Amino acid sequence: MKHRTRFFAGLALLGLMLVTTPAAAEDEKYEQLQAQVEALQEQLREVQEALAQYASKTDTETQVNQLKQDIAEAAAWKEPNTLIHMAGYADVGYTKQDSEDGSFGIGTFSPIFHFQYRDLVMLEAEMEISVNDEGETDTALEYLTVDYFLNDYMTLVGGKFLSPIGQFRQNLHPSWINKLVSAPPGFGHDGAAPVSDLGVQARGGFKIGDTYANYAAFVSNGPELISAFEDGEFELGGVEAEAFGSDRDGDKVFGGRFAWLPTPGLELGFSLATGKASVTSIEEAHGEEPDEHEEEPGDHEDEPGDEHDEEEEEHDEEELLVDFGSEPARDYDVYGFDVAWNLNNFLLRGEFVKTKVGADNVGVTASPGATWQTWYGQASYLIPQTNWETAIRYTDFDSAHSSESQKQWAFGVNYLFASSVIGKFTYEFNDGLPGSVTDANRWLFQLAYGF
Amino acid sequence: MTISIQNRPRVGTIWMVLFCGMILSGPMLATDYLEEGDAQNGARTWAENCNRCHNARDPQDLRDDQWTTSVFHMRVRAGLTGKQTRDVLEYLQTANNWPVSLSTEVAQAGSGTARSGEEVYGRVCVACHGADGKGTVPGAPDFTDADGPMAQSDAILLEHIRDGFKSPKSPMAMPPRGGDPNLNQGEMEAVLEFMRKSFSD
Repeated sequence: MKHRTRFFAGLALLGLMLVTTPAAAEDEKYEQLQAQVEALQEQLREVQEALAQYASKTDTETQVNQLKQDIAEAAAWKEPNTLIHMAGYADVGYTKQDSEDGSFGIGTFSPIFHFQYRDLVMLEAEMEISVNDEGETDTALEYLTVDYFLNDYMTLVGGKFLSPIGQFRQNLHPSWINKLVSAPPGFGHDGAAPVSDLGVQARGGFKIGDTYANYAAFVSNGPELISAFEDGEFELGGVEAEAFGSDRDGDKVFGGRFAWLPTPGLELGFSLATGKASVTSIEEAHGEEPDEHEEEPGDHEDEPGDEHDEEEEEHDEEELLVDFGSEPARDYDVYGFDVAWNLNNFLLRGEFVKTKVGADNVGVTASPGATWQTWYGQASYLIPQTNWETAIRYTDFDSAHSSESQKQWAFGVNYLFASSVIGKFTYEFNDGLPGSVTDANRWLFQLAYGF
Repeated sequence: MTISIQNRPRVGTIWMVLFCGMILSGPMLATDYLEEGDAQNGARTWAENCNRCHNARDPQDLRDDQWTTSVFHMRVRAGLTGKQTRDVLEYLQTANNWPVSLSTEVAQAGSGTARSGEEVYGRVCVACHGADGKGTVPGAPDFTDADGPMAQSDAILLEHIRDGFKSPKSPMAMPPRGGDPNLNQGEMEAVLEFMRKSFSD
């Protein structure tokens, strides 16, 4: 009985084992599967994160590429082969002269056009637009040049250019640069210093050891002369040293300027011009210069339908008395010196120019030679840490005609609204022919803007 | 000056030969789009030359392309060499656009071999500020002035050196890092220390 009991117990245990063993295996497999699912979920999450990051990175790269394209497109027109730029200056002002009423006035509006092709060629043109006393607008071409940059040391300049004799005309005459309202006597139009010329120039700069030098050399049509007829005699009335589109006498004028800068702030210049010039017009005594008339055949022929009043015909007949084409060319010589010294806020400068025209003994307008000479010394001081600037200038202009000669002291106080926007007040003490304009003191106010 | 009529044709001939010789020799050296300029040399050239005729204009007055035509115009007018022209142009185009300059330079900061403060001052700063620290161009401040810029904290002065600065009464601005994009933080601190030792003590 006892053995039977043990048998059945063993049998039950075996049955239990047989029943429970598959259940345990199922649990283990379940756990394994669960672990695999969790691992897969983790991997899926990582893949999803990676995908999200990849998508984000792709977006960023797309944006960056788009940005690069936008910049490239913008930059494509930032530096095209041809650049166009308008600079220039303008000024308005008020002038009061002794014994005369003061008046407002527009000085000039002088736009300068720049057209530049790469680093090779530049076209420069400056207009000079002003309003005269009669309210009419005067327009002139101050200069027009095509500049070809040959190399680092030379630029070829062709066209109508500002005279490189001295510094005032070519560098200092713009109102936002000139420290005083007026130009020094003798440096304006019809003065001792040439204004402009038409021809070709070679300009540039180079090093001499540790110092620099610059130069300008030109060939040009040169000036024309004005003869004056007074008291039954001709005399030399003046030199029109402005660019002429033809060379009446056929003789070119050669000249140039050389400057050396022994130290960075100091410039010493020497100028020279020599050639021929002939009389091309006659100035009426103490009056206006008549219109010029070419002495080419047919110039004075009446065209059918033309209307000439009696006064004009009489004027033409007077002009025909002189054949300007046969007037002999006279000697024409100019030389000058200039100095500029910039020492901190001080700027000192001076300039001397002498123009000499030779005699003519055989022409209809034969007359002795004449000389024009002028010089000035100027000091200006920009008061440190302020916008105020002071200036003083002395000029001595000796003309061939005593009525034009003038000595002048000019004092100025300027306020710099910006570097190129300047309010200027100038008072001039003038010493000329008593009773004439050149002898009258005056004060001038000007607002100048260089743009 | 007297030049006789008989001698004039000879003067003209000699002049024409020289003139034509200069022109004909020019194209052999002509090139286009030469190497870029050096902003530091440009700052020095700008400071030394422009004020001789007119007040120096603020670099931010014009855009890069406008400065290109303006500086080439001045090359002809002032007799600058091509190298001087490129240097001045580089300086103006660097100094007129602070944010771009800053980002470019920040990226480059820290590169290069560190220079001493004295070396940096002599190379970068001296053109405008002068060896004596009193300034060589209009608007440059006097570092020896007890109430001047050196009275400010190091943090402010380093910011001015790093980002560029324009004094309220100055016609021209100092470009970021004085125009030297390779000036790193250590060099800026060194040059400030040199300036304090040289001009404030």
